[in-house]
Amino acid sequence: MSIGKEPMIKVQQITKSFGDVVAVNNLSFEVKPGEVFGLLGPNGAGKTTTVKLILGLLELDQGEIEVFGLHPEKDEVEIKKKLGYVSEDPLIYKSMTPKMLFDFITSIRDLDEAKTTEKLRYYLESLEAVEYYEKLIATLSRGNKQKMQVIASLIHDPDLLILDEPLTGLDAKSAKVVKEIIELHSERGGSVIFSTHILEVAEDICDRIAIIDRGKLVALGTVEELSKMADKAGADLETIFLKLTQQDESVNHIIQNLRKMFHNDKKK
Amino acid sequence: MILLRNKVLYKASKRVYKEAVLHAQLQSAGSNQQRYLERIEKDRIARSPDIIYKLLATIYIASLTFLPILSVFSMYRQLSEGSSFEWLNFASGIVNGAFFFIQLVILVVFALMLAWGIMSGGPYEWIHTLPFSRKEIEKIGLLTFVRSINVQLIAMTLVLPIGMTVAISLTIGPYISIWKILAIILLSIVLSLVNTCFNIGILIILSRKLAIVMEEYDFASKKASFIRIGTMFAYFFVSMFIFSVVNIGIQNLDAFYGLNGLSIKDSTLISNILSFVPYPFSSGYLLSIFVLDFNGVAPLTIVGSVIGFLFHCLITFLVIRKALTILRNISSPEIKRKKIMRRKTIVEDIVTKNLPPVRAFMKRDLSIITREMQQIVVLILPIMMPIYTAITGYVEDFHVIYGNTTVTVYFIIMMVYVLTNTMAMIVSTTTIETGGETIMAALPINERDKMKSKIPYFFGTIVIGMLLSLLVMIKSPIFIGTLYLTLSFLLVFPIIGVAGLLLKVRLFGKFRHKYVVEEIKGKYKFSKYVLIILLISLMMVMFIFSAVVGYWLIFTCEAVCLVLLVFTFNYMFPKKEWKVKYLF
Repeated sequence: MSIGKEPMIKVQQITKSFGDVVAVNNLSFEVKPGEVFGLLGPNGAGKTTTVKLILGLLELDQGEIEVFGLHPEKDEVEIKKKLGYVSEDPLIYKSMTPKMLFDFITSIRDLDEAKTTEKLRYYLESLEAVEYYEKLIATLSRGNKQKMQVIASLIHDPDLLILDEPLTGLDAKSAKVVKEIIELHSERGGSVIFSTHILEVAEDICDRIAIIDRGKLVALGTVEELSKMADKAGADLETIFLKLTQQDESVNHIIQNLRKMFHNDKKK
Repeated sequence: MILLRNKVLYKASKRVYKEAVLHAQLQSAGSNQQRYLERIEKDRIARSPDIIYKLLATIYIASLTFLPILSVFSMYRQLSEGSSFEWLNFASGIVNGAFFFIQLVILVVFALMLAWGIMSGGPYEWIHTLPFSRKEIEKIGLLTFVRSINVQLIAMTLVLPIGMTVAISLTIGPYISIWKILAIILLSIVLSLVNTCFNIGILIILSRKLAIVMEEYDFASKKASFIRIGTMFAYFFVSMFIFSVVNIGIQNLDAFYGLNGLSIKDSTLISNILSFVPYPFSSGYLLSIFVLDFNGVAPLTIVGSVIGFLFHCLITFLVIRKALTILRNISSPEIKRKKIMRRKTIVEDIVTKNLPPVRAFMKRDLSIITREMQQIVVLILPIMMPIYTAITGYVEDFHVIYGNTTVTVYFIIMMVYVLTNTMAMIVSTTTIETGGETIMAALPINERDKMKSKIPYFFGTIVIGMLLSLLVMIKSPIFIGTLYLTLSFLLVFPIIGVAGLLLKVRLFGKFRHKYVVEEIKGKYKFSKYVLIILLISLMMVMFIFSAVVGYWLIFTCEAVCLVLLVFTFNYMFPKKEWKVKYLF
């Protein structure tokens, strides 16, 4: 792993639209080496689109992105060599067994066989997934598919991890292991972009958090800095998040209506 | 270095292709996906259904070469027997054109299922996260598609040149010189290449359209269901129609050439017009003209086929260009997102409907059936097979072949099909219940309603199929005899079907820890077996001895069996719970 002091990712005023829908609107942030950077937002806020733009999977309408000082659309191969990605839905090939999958990754990424085997064995044992090694991925449970996807993103020892809801489907033990891996990765100087809407997890592992709503950056900072911005000193991230995304009033309104409906049903 | 990289890309395309095969299989398995996954876990061969499709398509394409080969033999024979050059040119142009067209249909019918898996774009998503450039992923896209039709591709390119070499070499005689033989072989190669390119392009365009219909439309809309059912009907109908045409065509080819059915003037006129049609006739006429060594061919037909073929080349170029754009797009990560955004639906109102349970079950079953290829085929077969049998019987003129026994022979053939379809329907109607069992188990379901919802499939589709087949036979000499038999047997197979369904529920309603349909009243198993088996046996005996027993006896027997069926149904699925408690 070769980590410098320059930001690993520079996102400058990026915009992406799909037809009339503006998915990402004038978004800017930076991710430093060794930092776990959280992308937080409600469903449809533009988190996954932002991640895909960073990966070079989507083309920018406006703005600029630099990953390791390189351009995602021009230098995509160089970037992808040093990057590990976990998608929200497991994208790995379900027609393969994990054995075939990791052989394929080792070949495509041209990895050292002995080192990769050692690492693979370690990851499979840590996530209690050894028994699925020769089973077809399509037949694995959601959680086990996710484990294989996480391992596939780590196996080449990337400098940057982009994780889109990586804990989905994982049991408590595996989730704890994955969180530990993320921390160890950042301690070693690697960066992580962690996209989620599970606020407790973000609060637990992210150094800085960007809150996105309807494609726009609402707030950026540590949990303490965000709580100051929300004028809710000492509050948990859920309260801060709802306040900053201006959803607190609408949530209260919904809760009141639900209470009324349940109360009326009980009367009947 | 480039060679090594291309090897890596080719290796990657294999994985993308395998993923596409799985994707297509899961799509066609619909609600049976879990069962399909269980099967491929145990059975490695089941993971590669593509091999069977490829082999079948190749066999059909190869056997189709009999059309131009037999054409050459027939043409030379008929020439020596005095047929006119003009008529033979006309007939050969049509037959060769049909050859090129049927080749396309076979390719599409057998490759469409796999191609739509590739065209969905899904199999390319993960590959984008690996260190490949966009250009390389486009290359992988092309290689993946080529992999899906590699054997057919070789067959389509080679069969015509090889077939023509054999045919011409065997018939070399006064009508053809050695230089012309070489010219014909060269022409066959050119025609093969152009038509193969055209066929591939059409397959790519069609499969992309199907992928959009199958995956990205709003599945709940009526329009989407209509398109889906229409596509599946067309797929099924075309494949059956083509196989009949090939079968009947090859048998009657020589007779067709010997017909001399048009005058020289009319043959020339139609040939002149058709030769201008770029696809498939210009290729067909070019081949025909060369085989006849330009003898007796009107100059306008020669000019027409050359111009038509040049247009065909131009169309092929445009089709391939469009196909390559599609391949580039589907391997691009943006495509899916664009399609989904385009089909964003606006919910105008949220209204729930409280339907009677039987109708609700029927609606659910129909929505499942119309999403699955296997299920819809089972639903279509009872309607299509009798019609298909009637068409075949009409075309092949059973009356000439079987004489006085025509009605019986025709009817037995049809009934064997109907019986097979009935069995398939029993399996299909219960298979629906194996999907989503967790949700169903959580609902307060009355099993009687669930069972009642299956009955219309038997009394509906089977009866409709039998009645529609009569319409095809209306001008046939065996119509009246078939009408009596069909009407008298109208209820036999629905009764066998429902009785078979009851038997399946009795035996496997709750099977291997899987919940399917469980009878409400589980007692008195022996009497139920006796009733069901009696019902099926009676109907089968009626069917076997139909030639001996009179219509009125069949009617009476059907009425008795119908009453017995209602009784057995109520016995297994009583109307009210108190009946279970106090009456039985």
